[in-house]
Amino acid sequence: MATRTSLLRTACRAHAAAPQSISRSAFVTAQWRRQNQAPRMFSVAAKVQEKKYTKDHEWIELGEDGKTYTLGITSYAASALGDVIYIELPSSGLEIGAGDAIGAVESVKSASDILTPVSGTVVATNEVLEEKPKVLNDSPEGDGWICRIEGDGTDVEGLMGVGEYKAFTEEEEAH
Amino acid sequence: MSVRVRNVQSYISTSHDPFLNLSLEHHLLQSSPSDSTILFLYVNRPSIIIGRNQNPWLEVNLELLRTANASANAKGGVEKEEGRRNAIGPIDLVRRRSGGGTVFHDTGNVNWTVICPPATFTRDKHAEMVVRALRNLGVERARVNERHDIVMDQGAARLGKSVDEDDMHVTPFTRSEGDGQSEGDGGRPLKISGSAYKLTRHRALHHGTCLLSSPNLGVIPQYLHSPVRPYIKARGVDSVSSPVGNVGLANNDFQTAVADEFACMYGGELEAEVLQDGLLEVEEVRKGHEELKAVEWTYNQTPQFTFSLQPTADDQRERPAIESLHSGAQFFFKARHGVITEASASFPKTDGAGVITSELDFLKDRMVHEINGWANLKEKFDAHIGEDNSEQLAQWLDSTFTVSANQ
Repeated sequence: MATRTSLLRTACRAHAAAPQSISRSAFVTAQWRRQNQAPRMFSVAAKVQEKKYTKDHEWIELGEDGKTYTLGITSYAASALGDVIYIELPSSGLEIGAGDAIGAVESVKSASDILTPVSGTVVATNEVLEEKPKVLNDSPEGDGWICRIEGDGTDVEGLMGVGEYKAFTEEEEAH
Repeated sequence: MSVRVRNVQSYISTSHDPFLNLSLEHHLLQSSPSDSTILFLYVNRPSIIIGRNQNPWLEVNLELLRTANASANAKGGVEKEEGRRNAIGPIDLVRRRSGGGTVFHDTGNVNWTVICPPATFTRDKHAEMVVRALRNLGVERARVNERHDIVMDQGAARLGKSVDEDDMHVTPFTRSEGDGQSEGDGGRPLKISGSAYKLTRHRALHHGTCLLSSPNLGVIPQYLHSPVRPYIKARGVDSVSSPVGNVGLANNDFQTAVADEFACMYGGELEAEVLQDGLLEVEEVRKGHEELKAVEWTYNQTPQFTFSLQPTADDQRERPAIESLHSGAQFFFKARHGVITEASASFPKTDGAGVITSELDFLKDRMVHEINGWANLKEKFDAHIGEDNSEQLAQWLDSTFTVSANQ
C-alpha cells in the first residue's frame, strides 16, 4: 500500500471536518485560563465547596470534612452517552492523580473514560451502579455518583462553576 | 513508529498478530496529536475478540477453543482422534479495550480504525465512510444500520422506491417494516461489519471489522456459543448475534477504497505508512502488548458473574439438564474480577434421604481461569459433597471451565 500510486478520485465529495471547531474550543480554553489567573481569595477547600465541573464533563463536590470529594459525571454527559449498560468503578484504596482515568462507562458499544480532576485516594465507590447502571442515566448528579476521593491537598485546577459549565456545554452543542 | 505530525495520517500493519495490532492501534490513540485524524488498517490471524466489559465464559465456547488449540498445537497440527481436524488452526482469545460485543477475526476480514478529535466524532460518520468505499467498489447493497454496523440488504428484487444514493443508511433493497415481506423473501440483511468505540479525554476511536472472504463463517458460531451460558448470570455487556456474510472482495481492493474515501473526507495524502513487526521495540507498544496478553486482562477484567446449576432468586431461568449430573444437583459460585468470592453445592444423598449442602470455602479467592483441572480439586469436593457427586461435578467443570493453556 505504501508504494501504491494514489488513486484519489477527482470527484472527491466534500466531507472535511468543520475547521471552526478547533478555534472555538481554543477560545473556550483561553477564556478559562483568564479565570484561573484571578487572584485566589479562599483556601483550596473553600474554593470547591460549591459543585464544580470539568471540561471533560465530570462534577466534583467537596464534603463537609473539607477533604473528601464526591465525583460523578454531569447530566449533559450522561445524556450524550446514551443508555449506560456497564460502569467500571475504581477500587477503594486506589491512589490517583489528577487527569487519570479512574473508570469507564460503556454505552452504545463505546467505552468512555471517567477522569478525575482531583489527586488523592479513592475511599468509596457507588456499588449500586454495578448492579443498576441505569441509575447513572436517571440521576447522574445525585444517586449516580461514581466515587469519593480523599484529596491529597494539591490544588484542583480547571474547574468551572455551574454557569460557566452551562455556557461551555452550549458551545459544544453549537458544533 | 514515529507518530507523524501531519494532521491526517494513514497506517497499515503487515502483522497478523491481534495483540500487536490492537496495541499499535492503542498507541496511535494515546500518542497521536489531539487534533489529528488517523486511519489504521490491519488484518488478524484467526482470533476471537471480546469487548472490554464482556465475560469470556459466556461469550466463547472455551472447551472447543481449548481442544481446537490443543489439536492445532499438536504435532503436524492435525487431530487424529475421531477423524476431527481443526480447519482454522490456533485461535487467539483477546479482550479489546473498546466496548461492544464479541467478533471473530481471520485473514478474510479487514479491520479499519479511525481516530479523531472528540468534537468531530459521531458514531456513524466512519461507518458511512466505509459504506461509500464499498459502494465505490460496486457493493450497492451496503448500508449503515441502526446499530452503527454495516449490513448488506438481501433479496433479488429492487423495491421500486426512489433512494437517495448519497444516503448511506438505505439501499434500493432496504425493506422497511411497512413492506410487509420482511423476513420471508430474501431474508434479513447480513452483517458484514461490526463497530466499537473507545473514547478518551482527547480522542475518539471507532474501529470496525469487514468480512470480505472469511472461509470460517460456517464454524464461527460454534466457537461463539458457550455451553455454560444457561447457567451464568453476568453483569456487563452481552453480545447481540446477527447473521453474517462475506462481501466477496479482495483485502487489498477494500483497503485501497477505504484509504481513498478517508483521503476524500480529510484531504490527506494517500500514502499509508507501513507498520512492521519490529514495532514491539517501541516501549509503549510493548507495554500495551503485554497488558493485552496478560491473563489478568483477559479473565480478571470480567464483570461480576454468578454460576448456578439451578434457578436462583436473581436468575429464575430453567436450566437445561446435564446428563452426567443428578437433576437435583446444585453448584453455585459468584466471581468478582474473575475471583471466586463464594461457592456452595448441594446434592441429593445416594439413599434418597435428604440433601448434602455445603459451603465450598476451598474455592474462595481462587481465580476461575486458574483452576486448570477441577478434577484436581476432587478430594476437596469429596469431603463436602460425597465421592460420586464430586467426581461427576469435577469432570463437568473440567470440560466447560478450563481455559486454554496458552491463553
